[in-house]
Amino acid sequence: MKLEFILNDKAVSLEVDPMKRLLDILREDFGLTGTKESCGEGECGACTVLLDGKPVTSCLVNAVHAENKQVVTSEGIAQKPLGKLLIACFDETNAVQCGFCFPGFLVSSYYYLKNDGEPNLEKIKTALSGNICRCTGYQKIFDSVMMACHRKQEQEK
Amino acid sequence: MKFYKPKNLTELFQISEKIAGKKYFLAGGTDINVQIKKKMITDEPIIYINHLEELQGIRETDESIIIGSLCSYQELLNSPLIAKYLPFFRASLVNFASPLLQTMATIGGNIANGSPTADVTPLLLVLDAQIILMAKSKMRHIPLRDFFTGYKQFNLKKNEIIGGVQITKNAETGYKTFYKKVGSRKALTIAKVALAGLKNSEEYKLAVGSLNEYPRRLSKIEEYLASTNTPESVKLEELLKQEITPISDMRSDKDYRFQVCLNLLLEFIQI
Repeated sequence: MKLEFILNDKAVSLEVDPMKRLLDILREDFGLTGTKESCGEGECGACTVLLDGKPVTSCLVNAVHAENKQVVTSEGIAQKPLGKLLIACFDETNAVQCGFCFPGFLVSSYYYLKNDGEPNLEKIKTALSGNICRCTGYQKIFDSVMMACHRKQEQEK
Repeated sequence: MKFYKPKNLTELFQISEKIAGKKYFLAGGTDINVQIKKKMITDEPIIYINHLEELQGIRETDESIIIGSLCSYQELLNSPLIAKYLPFFRASLVNFASPLLQTMATIGGNIANGSPTADVTPLLLVLDAQIILMAKSKMRHIPLRDFFTGYKQFNLKKNEIIGGVQITKNAETGYKTFYKKVGSRKALTIAKVALAGLKNSEEYKLAVGSLNEYPRRLSKIEEYLASTNTPESVKLEELLKQEITPISDMRSDKDYRFQVCLNLLLEFIQI
């Protein structure tokens, strides 16, 4: 099929098998290797991207699902003001250990910060519950997102 | 694998009719893509349906809420109609899968996959949901409890698809409600045991997941509880042995599943 979609705010198109996973399209056809594959079954969240603004595991999304949709990857988020804010907070808190899960955490955290942003630990935990960090550095990840929520609130004052 | 993308329902039935053997309908893809990865699906034809408007959305009639089979869990959670009429149902959905899967996973897919541990089915069973089955020129409603006939076996005629689910607006009104899913962790867990229950002064409705070859109502226990004011745990245990057939697998063993189910049942009686 001819697949047309918006990738990180740019219109793109390619000829592709309709069942090809969005994860593979991003990595192989567009070189966006920030999106990682770990479990490949939707359990770990390492391949999280935004599809029409909502977080999904791109290993379970097929080309046909992305047709005429907006896709934003961790690379795209890193260019956005709230993405930069999150990255600064992850950096200051030393939240990143091996880093493999982090693009996924960035996407889920960004979705929470943008659409809710309340500095509420329970809500943050729920928002990140689809992402797994096998270095188990959850506390610092939650601290970073909490910090980003506070900073966003200050900026909006 | 052969791939089809019908323009509408009419075309879907035309395509489906022409395929004699096994075929898969691709909705949100959260189960099918896992099955492809595990080589459980290799070259069977795939018919994409997730874009079909006829199977989307949540509507109300005077008496019922009709949920299209392609409705995602996120749409259910965000629906003002569900929040207004079925708050227990909505609250129980919050911990299904994970926020990432809730975006894509559909209610019709959850039922169609036919897993004994499907999260939504015990809830729909106690809400006395009807399943809407659509064929080329016919549509029928049957109680969901009559839909399952065995492990991944359905009361489904040739070339029929799941069109949606219908729940009456007062399905949970006036009932005390209970839903508990027990797994290894809170999010993203596949249930070892799940129990959904409704009760009022006259009747009890109970359904379990992960304990039989398909989720089902516990009719004998419902009748027993309705017949007595002082249920005995020995009697409950005896009836439960007749109603469930837990198995041992990678997630848990049968004795544990039986005990947890009994404990949940006793907890339900106390509410």
